[in-house]
Amino acid sequence: MPDEAGATAGSSRPDDPDRRVRIPVTSVRVDAPQFQIAAKNPRRAELVAGSGFLLAAAGFAGFGAAYWQNWSSFWLALTFSVGFAGLGYGMVVWGRYLMPRGPFSESRHSLVPTGAQREVFVQDFAIRGKVAVERRGFLVKTLGIASGILGVVLAFPLLRSLGPLPEKTLRQTAWRRGSYLVDITGRKIKTGDLEVGGFMTVFPETDIGGAYSQTMLIRVDPPPASGYLTPPPQFAKQRATWAPQGYIAFSKVCTHAGCPVGLYEELTKQMLCPCHQSLFDVTDAAIPIFGPAPRPLPQLPLYIDDEGYFRAQDGYDEPVGPGYWERGND
Amino acid sequence: MTASHAFWRRALLSFALLVSASFVGVFLLGGGRGGASAVIPNGVNAASLTSQDNPTTASQLGLGRTLFVQNCSSCHGIGAEGGNRAPPLLGVGGATVDLWLSSGWMPLAEPTAEPERKPAKFDRAEVLDIVRYVTSLAPSFGNPGVPSGIDISHADVAEGFSLFALNCAPCHTITGAGDALAGGIQAPPLHGVTKTMVWEAVRTGPGNMPRFGPGTLSPSQVVDIVGYVVKNIQHPYSPGGLSLGGVGPVAEGFVGLFVGVGACLLAALWVGDRTETDEDEGREGHGGEDGSKNPDRHRDTPGGEAESELANA
Amino acid sequence: MIDALFNWFDERLGISGSGRKLLNKIFPDHWSFLIGEIALYSFIVLLGTGIFLTLYFVPSSKDVIYEGSYAPLRGQPVSEAFASTLNLSFAVRGGLLMRQMHHWAANIFVGSIVVHMLRIFFTGAFRKPREINWIVGSTLLILAIFNGFLGYSLPDDLVSGTGIRISFSIVESIPLIGSYAAFFLFGGNFPGNAIIPRFFILHVLILPAVIVGLLSAHLGMLVRQKHTQFPGRGNTPRNVVGAPLWPTFVAKTTGFMCLTVAVTGALSAFFQINPVWLYGPYVPYKVSYAVQPDWYMGWLDGALRIMPSWEIVGFGHMIPNVFFPAILLPGITFGVLQAWPFIEARITHDHAEHQILDRPRDRPKRTAFGAAVFSFYFVLFGASATDVLANYLSISLNVVLTSFRFLAIVVPLIVYPVTYRICKELQQVPTAGKRKRANVVLRSAEGGYSTVRAEQRPGDAVPRLDPLPLDEDIQFLPVPADVVVAGNGSPEQAPPQSSAESRSDRPRGGIFTIPRVYR
Repeated sequence: MPDEAGATAGSSRPDDPDRRVRIPVTSVRVDAPQFQIAAKNPRRAELVAGSGFLLAAAGFAGFGAAYWQNWSSFWLALTFSVGFAGLGYGMVVWGRYLMPRGPFSESRHSLVPTGAQREVFVQDFAIRGKVAVERRGFLVKTLGIASGILGVVLAFPLLRSLGPLPEKTLRQTAWRRGSYLVDITGRKIKTGDLEVGGFMTVFPETDIGGAYSQTMLIRVDPPPASGYLTPPPQFAKQRATWAPQGYIAFSKVCTHAGCPVGLYEELTKQMLCPCHQSLFDVTDAAIPIFGPAPRPLPQLPLYIDDEGYFRAQDGYDEPVGPGYWERGND
Repeated sequence: MTASHAFWRRALLSFALLVSASFVGVFLLGGGRGGASAVIPNGVNAASLTSQDNPTTASQLGLGRTLFVQNCSSCHGIGAEGGNRAPPLLGVGGATVDLWLSSGWMPLAEPTAEPERKPAKFDRAEVLDIVRYVTSLAPSFGNPGVPSGIDISHADVAEGFSLFALNCAPCHTITGAGDALAGGIQAPPLHGVTKTMVWEAVRTGPGNMPRFGPGTLSPSQVVDIVGYVVKNIQHPYSPGGLSLGGVGPVAEGFVGLFVGVGACLLAALWVGDRTETDEDEGREGHGGEDGSKNPDRHRDTPGGEAESELANA
Repeated sequence: MIDALFNWFDERLGISGSGRKLLNKIFPDHWSFLIGEIALYSFIVLLGTGIFLTLYFVPSSKDVIYEGSYAPLRGQPVSEAFASTLNLSFAVRGGLLMRQMHHWAANIFVGSIVVHMLRIFFTGAFRKPREINWIVGSTLLILAIFNGFLGYSLPDDLVSGTGIRISFSIVESIPLIGSYAAFFLFGGNFPGNAIIPRFFILHVLILPAVIVGLLSAHLGMLVRQKHTQFPGRGNTPRNVVGAPLWPTFVAKTTGFMCLTVAVTGALSAFFQINPVWLYGPYVPYKVSYAVQPDWYMGWLDGALRIMPSWEIVGFGHMIPNVFFPAILLPGITFGVLQAWPFIEARITHDHAEHQILDRPRDRPKRTAFGAAVFSFYFVLFGASATDVLANYLSISLNVVLTSFRFLAIVVPLIVYPVTYRICKELQQVPTAGKRKRANVVLRSAEGGYSTVRAEQRPGDAVPRLDPLPLDEDIQFLPVPADVVVAGNGSPEQAPPQSSAESRSDRPRGGIFTIPRVYR
């Protein structure tokens, strides 16, 4: 039984007679030097601390005045700060110089249990508990089944209700064959709206302001002789007609981490993403030439209709934006 | 003075230096204005340079020609036809010439230097003279001339802010602080520029800056942007205190760490004690050269010892 | 009156009986033990200012037309969250103060947690029996960083909204489950309408509740295991030396709390933080240059910037580029951080209990390693400002980026041996950093020189006494009023009966009047 273990080292009952026997009683005089205050000149220390409190009083009063007089936030903050600084200063001076200087100590008893303590604990927990579960395998197993199923089904409202499945949403934007290129006000863009070296942020008319359909329309060059900007060799066939009259369009969603690539350098003909400084070469299918972006910006195939408006030949031929597990090599 | 006094004097001096450096750094590096801005002559209503309204006098042309020959022709050619080192200026339009001269990009500090913003070499009248001369050499092909006074009193700064955020912030930052582009180019800060220069920059797209023509931004939209830049970019509303350069949270982080946590650490150094190990206590060591024992050790309470620091060699 | 009140509670809760242990609890005095308190008190500031902010902030992504006092936004469509933040900053008296104090306190909170963690690391306080507390503390760091990110994203401004977009991409990049996790978190594709309200409830309720719980566990373990202490006179593994809770520590810590609040207030007075009205509302197709996350996420941003453009594609699947710097790197970082006590115990084969701290110089390998690792993350933090540095130093952006890639590897390799050497040298000079007594040079009449130690200065000779034990079983021996106490009066003269009385009766004369026998 527990009593024979004797006094436990961490016991907190000072009246326990067993304990008194174990640890020698120490006597301490109340006029011991550790109880004296540290200040050599207590009056001066008191004045210093008191002046801190007076400063605090002035500060807080100033805060009140600043509030009711509707002064600027600067004065509110300054008076607030001065008030607390004074308060803190006074309290610390009081604590350091006008209180028992110490040092004091207390015993640190090991938390490691004695063998006897451990045994007693095991007796109470395991042996009593054992009675409950011994030869009750059926009970334990059925509880396990119920808990297991609970654990699984809890995930349904906790997780699945949070949002829809991605499915194909990440693969496609709102761009379709024939979509007009419109600006943020919905105005359809036609040739001549951009100067050479200019750009605009455009959207399909069905998704103005769309996070994934945002596109950079850039007028790179004056109309080239062939009528189209020459794509790089690996896209020579596929993208031959995608950039009519010196205009070209790329997805504005960076393939690195999704920021809008809104920075176009007119002379070097490069797009720079402001977030992590990926640099895309507009004359080379927006292939990244610097920075962390791993893939080129998808290009939107353009054509100019009879009225001179820009329209998309089709949607993007690959998912726009950063990569994800299911993206593979599209 | 005592040892602890000396320590605190050093600590507080270092801290004060750090805080002052932060203040000075903030003022120098931005704070909403300042930085490497040029001293630009005031955006006085430029005389209209369209020849119908304000025919250029022969003397003005002559002045302009003289200035051009003296300062520009060595690279751009006597007839502004360009050369190995500089592009032709024929037909670029008055706005381009005005902008490059007003911003101090031209003339270059030396023939191989990069254009950088510096105090304009010419005053406003001289700049306009040069503009008149250059634009007289060839038709401007639709490139804009110097604007005849930009009225921002009815500018819609809210619309300007929205347009600025869409078109300008990706290079110049949302606070107009300017930033470095790839390859050593800079999108300059928008402080210390006149509304004429802003208008001209937007319309002519100098250097790597894209061009925003009338089909992209209508005249009223450009005035809105100019109004926003001149009013709110150059005089940002900063009720919360110093604006730390407008370069983003990294500056706030430095201040929070070095000034904020630093001040709290200084407070902790005051409130708490410093380490005393056994070496700091009354260990004899070698004593002084004369071999004397430390005469200051004394016992005031049983078990207590005066704290004395012996310098171990 | 106060005595009567105290008695009322005492009879119901038994404070006098068990409270003495609390009163006498000893707190070691070293200044570096107060760093955790900086974190604690800045957290209190966060709670207080945060409660104020929740009364005005509207966590909704619904678009409204701003009609407030800030002209450049008047008439523009903004989210309600953004509009309420502007309202809070301009229209609510004291609102800007609270907002700024909240954000500055957050910066100080995470900063002091990092400094505190460094102190624990460099002094070896994470060793047995405090491994659990280290894990709890590291978790608190992660939660603090994450809660800070959630908090500054709430106003839905252009700068923090860009960060939210990046976080969507980061979640998306997790293999297997990334796109699902991102859609679940955002309630659909980016941007959706759910993220601001969800961030809000995470930021004000769920994470603070977890933080408070873990903080209580953190402090509770500290109380149970007692604080460590540096080696010094009177400090043994079997005691704790310092100041008692009452009255000294209460005074000093309350004062320190006030000072922390004062620092936060001063920052809010002089330095503007997060001026969202200058940034404008977040729209997915707008962006600004020169944006970074708040500093405690800066190392992640820096890692994103300097990471080479690698991506793994194969078998119809992809491990995107941002996975490596934004998921893998923090995963390894926090994993090693949490496991460090066990890693070090493995390496040093030291499974003993430690109650006495190391001085960092005494463990040069650990100190050098910690310094090197910290310098790596500091370089990453610096790399979050590549564009700003390129601008102000007038260096090409390309050069800056390449330099940071180089520095991230080279700087830790330099810091390690340098720190190691510094530790070794400090070990040679035991009084390094301490003020030394000068040697006064004397010249004798014959012309010879000799030195003598200088006079001790008045403040140097503060005698530090031996610690006085305050264990609960000690007896206080009062000095009887009629006995004149000489320099060392002996205890035997004092009658010991008063201590027994004080336990069984109500205290005579109350707690604020000193019983006659003690005067």
